[in-house]
Amino acid sequence: MADNEDAGAPSEPLDLVRLSLDEIVFVKLRGDRELKGRLHAYDSHCNLVLGDVEETIYVVEEDDNEEETTRTIKKQEEMLFVRGDSVVLISPQA
Amino acid sequence: MSFFGFDSNLPRDRQPGPSATRGFFENPDPFAEVARARALEDDDAIDFEDTYDGLGDQLDDDQDAFNDDTFGGGGGAGPSTGAVGKDFDFFGKTATVADAIGEEQIRYTLQNPQAVLVAGQHVQPDAQPEPAFTKRSGYEKYSDPGFIPDLQAKSSVWGVSQKKPEPIPLPGMSAARKMMSLDEVEAQMQMRNLGYQPSPVPQAMHPHLADPSAYMRHPQNIPLPDGFPTIPPEVLRAQLERGGLPPGMPHPPPGMPDMHGPPPGIPGMPPHHMQGNPPQNIPPQGIPPPGMRQPGPPPNQRAPQQQQQQQVPPPTSRGPNGGLPVITDPQQLVHLTEEQRNAYLVEDAKRAKRNHKIFLLSRGNGLMTPQDKNFITRIQLQQLVAAAGNVADADPEAVLAEDFYYQVYSQIRGAPRQHPHQPLGHFAQTYLLQTGNRIGGHGNRRAFHSADNHMQRMQQQVQRAVEAAKAKPKNKQLIIEGSLGKISFSNAKAPKPMLNIKRPDSSEGPRPKKLHSDLSLSDRKSILTNIEGVYSGLMSMEDMERTMPPPPEEGDAEAIQEHMEWRQKARSLNQKLWQSLKVMEPIVPNSTTPHPFIAFLSYPKGKKAIPRIFRHIDQEQRVTILTMIVVHLDSLDVVHLAQPVPGEAQLSLAMREAIDLFSLAVMPSLLGYVNEAPFNIIIGLLGLVIAQTHVQTVARTRVGLGILTMLLSRAEIVKEAGQASEVDWQQWVAKFNVLFDTLEPALADIFTSPINSGDDMYVWQFLAAVGIGASPEQQQRLVIAVKDRVMETVAYSKTLPADMASSRLGNVNLFMRAIGLDVELLG
Repeated sequence: MADNEDAGAPSEPLDLVRLSLDEIVFVKLRGDRELKGRLHAYDSHCNLVLGDVEETIYVVEEDDNEEETTRTIKKQEEMLFVRGDSVVLISPQA
Repeated sequence: MSFFGFDSNLPRDRQPGPSATRGFFENPDPFAEVARARALEDDDAIDFEDTYDGLGDQLDDDQDAFNDDTFGGGGGAGPSTGAVGKDFDFFGKTATVADAIGEEQIRYTLQNPQAVLVAGQHVQPDAQPEPAFTKRSGYEKYSDPGFIPDLQAKSSVWGVSQKKPEPIPLPGMSAARKMMSLDEVEAQMQMRNLGYQPSPVPQAMHPHLADPSAYMRHPQNIPLPDGFPTIPPEVLRAQLERGGLPPGMPHPPPGMPDMHGPPPGIPGMPPHHMQGNPPQNIPPQGIPPPGMRQPGPPPNQRAPQQQQQQQVPPPTSRGPNGGLPVITDPQQLVHLTEEQRNAYLVEDAKRAKRNHKIFLLSRGNGLMTPQDKNFITRIQLQQLVAAAGNVADADPEAVLAEDFYYQVYSQIRGAPRQHPHQPLGHFAQTYLLQTGNRIGGHGNRRAFHSADNHMQRMQQQVQRAVEAAKAKPKNKQLIIEGSLGKISFSNAKAPKPMLNIKRPDSSEGPRPKKLHSDLSLSDRKSILTNIEGVYSGLMSMEDMERTMPPPPEEGDAEAIQEHMEWRQKARSLNQKLWQSLKVMEPIVPNSTTPHPFIAFLSYPKGKKAIPRIFRHIDQEQRVTILTMIVVHLDSLDVVHLAQPVPGEAQLSLAMREAIDLFSLAVMPSLLGYVNEAPFNIIIGLLGLVIAQTHVQTVARTRVGLGILTMLLSRAEIVKEAGQASEVDWQQWVAKFNVLFDTLEPALADIFTSPINSGDDMYVWQFLAAVGIGASPEQQQRLVIAVKDRVMETVAYSKTLPADMASSRLGNVNLFMRAIGLDVELLG
């Protein structure tokens, strides 16, 4: 029992990401983007491969009265490779 | 001859002014002749006296008189090193002769008409080779196995040194002297030596003819007339090596427009022919430019040889020519019959075509020198050694870590190699041997001896490198006594670790966590952790499988030992995997949290792991898993959460996906076991379903029905095969009756999908399995229970297209036939 506890016990942050493999994760990216999709793979740079991804882009626009409105653009991707340097956070979508 | 005027008027860049001249680097190499003479000496064809053109004699006294003016030397022609110190005033000295240079230039331009005329005919060939040989790679000489690097390349760097032999231009010199055309120079030279001059053309030609190897050795030195296509030296060599010179090829007749074009004889007159009556005004395009000097001997010495050469037809190999007469002279062509001439022309066209093909093929020839090739070979060997060395000292793990997915992929694809590193090492060896043999084959040639040695040296080097790689210390760092730190070895595969963190021993670190995870074994995170533990175990077991030693032969103690060790290791890994599966966790009755293994199965990746797990566990473990699933059948997510919701036609998408995944991943593994399971186990399992689960809940789901179908059909097969003992069968029938009684009220509900969904085949399969094993009385009850659905389906199928209808009726018939009926009977 102790042995396999070692195998599974998280010893570094990315071990927690490993738990979310093949699960739906929520990923926040730089540039006001968010992804939600199934985590297929990741590496030490936080490069991710996601499947069935819904990408949400938040665009802030100023209208004539200088009031800021936020518009969201949603995109659906079958498979996505995310370069790790843009990843802000990865959260399991329980 | 003028200082800058030897040819500043290239047609392509004709510009006035001294700046237009292209400097001394444009000068033909003054040492070329020396090198050539040396090369020629090797072949004993021409000695130095022959090649010496006597220009040196011509140079002395009268032309270096102005050296001092130009170079600002001291008095006399002697070395003026004393006068030229480190503070030599280049600008000042140049300024003193600046006027002279200017005047010289003007004079040259004034003389231009003549110069142009001369250039067009004679000077041009001098300059022409430059553009014509733009493709010159500079490596041609290396193709000569006996090549000894000479001073040529370097001499060009020192433009000044080339200046000396050049006549010094001065305004005082007569225009006639300066502007002598090449013709005149030639004539003068020859008159001095001879008094008599035959046609210059053959002189230019025959030295090359007489010694083809010289021709091929220094093809770039051979001036080519205007319009004469550049023949790559490779083509010439190819021709020469094939035993001779095809007609037309080595005799570039003056003015011959295209050697690949029409056959020879038509376009121009070969030198032989012209020799009889040398027309004085024939442009001596074959004459080498003065800068190159004349490669051949002085004409007087040359003449007898020429005559000889003339008599003997060129040593051509005329295999394809067949019975046709040997044509050396186009005039002969005239005397031939029409037929012969046509045949000859056709033959020649063929040859020209072939030559062109060879030319095309040989474009890249000689681009690499043997040294270049050796260099490339060395790089390749280094890479091989790096790879082989890595394999030698690293375990296969490293190779797998390198490109795990490729390895797995190639395994899946059934790649022949079991140990990924083997072929590489093998390849390296093969490569080494091959190269050695190939070079060794040429051992009879002196030139290749050094290369052979070189290869041997490289092989030894490779061996040493491999040895060193093997002997490389296993520990990754070195502590030198007295040093303040550690020295870490690093390489591309294992970069130097910048941080050296001591990992906590397993006895210390995870303990608190372990306590925690024991407390809540079934929360989400620990389930996921379990799953990852299972996958880790799976991967290490799959790794083990890869490294399985070959089955030991009888009496091979070492192999048996190895095999036993492997077995031992595999067993321990199996145990590890088994534990991480948590199948053996105690079953807590009426617990709100599901059993860890059932929780494990509730995740898609847990389901997907089952087929992989089944490959690595024994029958006992399989039956344990099956038992576990059967016991918890109604708490499986695909059963528990898959109950049809009233009012909803379908289950949620996620649940349908989960059910599909379970059916695809888990069911085949279970079925694989059940199909071989002994009868008593089937009986036991059915008993568990009845005793431990809510049968009516189970029966409303696809997975539940699937498992029941699996058990019932296996029992039927056992019975059909006569393998069931009477006692067992009685036991089975008892259980079956209980099941049937439990199930009967729910039979109307087992069709969860509406009739038009077409997704009820599994239900008919289940009913068929029940029907086969049922007694006639049970069969009747069964028919009554599902009669409505049968009738509806038959009626509905009549509204469908023929193929869909037949598949629906086929499903119904599965059941009907099981109880001895047929839909046909229903009309």
